[in-house]
Amino acid sequence: MKISYRHIVRGLNPRPDIEELSERLFQLGHEHEISDEIFDIEFTPNRGDCLSLDGLRRDLRLFYEIQKKQNVYQGEISSFKFEFVNKAEEFCNNISFLKIEVDEVPRIYEDFLEDYFSVLNIKKINFFTDISNYLSYETGQPTHCYDSSKLNGPLILDVLKKEIEFETLLDKKVNISEGDLVFCDKGNRVINLAGVVGGKNTECNKNTKSVIVECAHFDPEIIIGKSLKYDISSDAAHKFERNTDPYSHDYVLRRFLNIVESHTQIKKVELLKQSYTKKIHKFIPLDILKINKILGTEIDENKCLMYLNKLGFELSEGKIKVPTYRNDISTINDLAEEVARAVGYNNIKSEPLNISIANNIKLDHKDKKIKKILIDQGFYEVINNPFVIQNVSESVSVDNPLDSNRKYLRTGLKDSLINNLLFNERRQKDSVKLFEISDVYTNSNEGRFGKRIIGVIASGRIDKNYKNFSKKITKSFLVEVLEKIRPEKYLIEEISRDDLNSKFKNKIFFCEFEIDSSLDLDSSFDEITLKDIKDKEYVPISEYPSSFRDLSFSIKDYSKCKLLEKYILNFDHNLLKEVFVFDYYKNEKINEIKIGFRFIFQSKESTITDDEVNKIMDLIISGSMNIDSVSIPGL
Amino acid sequence: MPDSKDLSSPDLIREKGSYHPINQMIDSLVNLLISFGFEIVDGPEIETEEFNFDMLNIKKSHPARQMHDTFYLNQKSSLLRTHTSPVQIRGMLEKKPPLAFISGGKVYRKDDDATHLPMFHQIEGIYVDEEVSFANLKDLIYKIVKALFGDNVKLRFRPSYFPFTEPSAEVDILSENGKWLEILGCGVVNPVVLENCNISSEQYSGFAFGLGIERIAMLKFGVKDIRDFYKSNLDFLNQFK
Repeated sequence: MKISYRHIVRGLNPRPDIEELSERLFQLGHEHEISDEIFDIEFTPNRGDCLSLDGLRRDLRLFYEIQKKQNVYQGEISSFKFEFVNKAEEFCNNISFLKIEVDEVPRIYEDFLEDYFSVLNIKKINFFTDISNYLSYETGQPTHCYDSSKLNGPLILDVLKKEIEFETLLDKKVNISEGDLVFCDKGNRVINLAGVVGGKNTECNKNTKSVIVECAHFDPEIIIGKSLKYDISSDAAHKFERNTDPYSHDYVLRRFLNIVESHTQIKKVELLKQSYTKKIHKFIPLDILKINKILGTEIDENKCLMYLNKLGFELSEGKIKVPTYRNDISTINDLAEEVARAVGYNNIKSEPLNISIANNIKLDHKDKKIKKILIDQGFYEVINNPFVIQNVSESVSVDNPLDSNRKYLRTGLKDSLINNLLFNERRQKDSVKLFEISDVYTNSNEGRFGKRIIGVIASGRIDKNYKNFSKKITKSFLVEVLEKIRPEKYLIEEISRDDLNSKFKNKIFFCEFEIDSSLDLDSSFDEITLKDIKDKEYVPISEYPSSFRDLSFSIKDYSKCKLLEKYILNFDHNLLKEVFVFDYYKNEKINEIKIGFRFIFQSKESTITDDEVNKIMDLIISGSMNIDSVSIPGL
Repeated sequence: MPDSKDLSSPDLIREKGSYHPINQMIDSLVNLLISFGFEIVDGPEIETEEFNFDMLNIKKSHPARQMHDTFYLNQKSSLLRTHTSPVQIRGMLEKKPPLAFISGGKVYRKDDDATHLPMFHQIEGIYVDEEVSFANLKDLIYKIVKALFGDNVKLRFRPSYFPFTEPSAEVDILSENGKWLEILGCGVVNPVVLENCNISSEQYSGFAFGLGIERIAMLKFGVKDIRDFYKSNLDFLNQFK
């Protein structure tokens, strides 16, 4: 919610500057950002009472005095003979209708009202609706204005029995559903989606001189989710969803009248008030010892009471009387939180804690042992989303998927891992070895069934070192790896590339099995600690294609081989992404070593050019030629 | 091919793979918390409304229960857990205090944009004993945050709202660019939750905390886009060896 700094501090004593106010708001739990002296505050959902200028200033009474009270209409209000039938009392226990008639509709607003629209950059609509919107900002109580000339009584509040089309005053047509709370007038014409948005058919306009102002308290449960469901941005719904003060209506309507009369002559004012419950105050037994136990503090009773009193709580016969606007307070823990906010969470001293509970769960670390085996063999762990488009008979379905491509939960890992493999192949990776461990769920006749499985996929070169560079991954390679986990016959599947969007020819092998209690691994595992990840800093990766060059050297003096290797592997250039030895051959008969290096180049800014690569290769070649007995065949 | 006596042969480097950075983060935090005395508990990702919401004092009107926030399954008979707290509820129903549990894993919320994913990871912890206070919680949070970000880290506690804790707090750390960044939520266990688990709230009290793993991992590793964790890009994963 956006609230102006100037509006907040009006009448506050002492007047805080913007930084101090910001700190105080954080202390109270009102997270915000500030832009051009406007506080954009994200109130927690339990603090519906703060969704207004008055509400926020009530909280700030902890730190400041408020010198000025708002003016309200002091005149007599006669009874409004208006036929209203509440068929949904369980969802609306307090409602008032105020009829106002004025002589003239003002075109110019008082400074405070003008300021609201200009400072917060809000569009004016018409006189009565503008007051309604301002009052929602000031008091937190939404009101709705009907042009009384467009209403055909009787007015009925009821739960909708069947779906109908409804045109809102925002010129949007929506199909509202059975079960929605609505106001109807003659002939069951829907004129208002209660607590969310009014109808086009009874909206006020710039010439409206006679208005009926509805001021109600709705059960949050009947309002919640409606604005999102119908894609209607509604300040009223936002407030009703978070609960409003059911007993504020008299004040709000008299304040409404006061603003009207400060602009124009009121010709007639009438009120119909209907309340279906007795005013109930909540009381919580005051237990200072308990509050201090919860917080771990030693705050004395007087201080606690002072804090609570400033927040509007009263002490009555040993009990704390909760203000009616604080729907969120009902227990001693709630009161402890109020005291903690007043003291400041950061000012509560921490109390050393030693947890000494015998840990009697023996962890078998199966997952960790399997992971270590695979990682030692060059496999990378991946994590995938469980949502898939495919439906097999036992798939668990998602009632409200993000989209139609994510309607089911996967029952296996194969498709995810194939996608991961293809993704990397498209990025010029000629060796891809991946695994994923995940829980998967299926429906069965016996109910829902979950199990932890591992999927392993591999394709391309076995490794990039000179022993394995030219060897391709085969089924027997994967068998050899998996036998380290458990010596058994694995069902290894060769995935056909026929249906895959792939130009690669390497064979793809996949295996999936359950990690269950029968798996008994007698191997080591890594215990990763925060120290292990301390120095890992991610460098953003390039999305541009890479380019590679192979270079083969001939060395006559064996002792120079290590020198060359050191020079090449340590060669540093911002475009050289990786270099490794992919070939090595020592021919003792002719007293010659042949060693091949692969250089991979990639730019972070553009597709790397041959010119750029050639220049770097020239540098590498000229440097290596300085080493005695080293030559490049064919150069 | 070189033989074992060939002193001129290059080192034979067998390329190792890597643990996923998110799992590295989880494992390191779990190990830290185990060293503080917590015991690890595990639970299903598919949950009931009872365990995911009701037992945790999340009322029917709470926005988190709406279809726009929670993935419901099989005609609303179950749901994908929105946090790992249900695991702790199951733990509390099985054991009597004193107890100190942590649970970690995947959780799901109906979000998908540049800063939110429909699947992410959490670690949550709960400690229940006689006379456990908010001041005790602060002590543990300081230990966790300092272990993560160093002894000189500046942190602040802000009042917040979680239905299962009261008082509730969010904890921010001060980043190098002078901005406060939220890193975890915590609070004193709401007595209603203890009673729901047949634990006397007169005799016992407790605290709970929860960390979003992706957010911590982004801060620790310097990853700017949360989606990078789940692209399975080898160039990305290779950096976390």
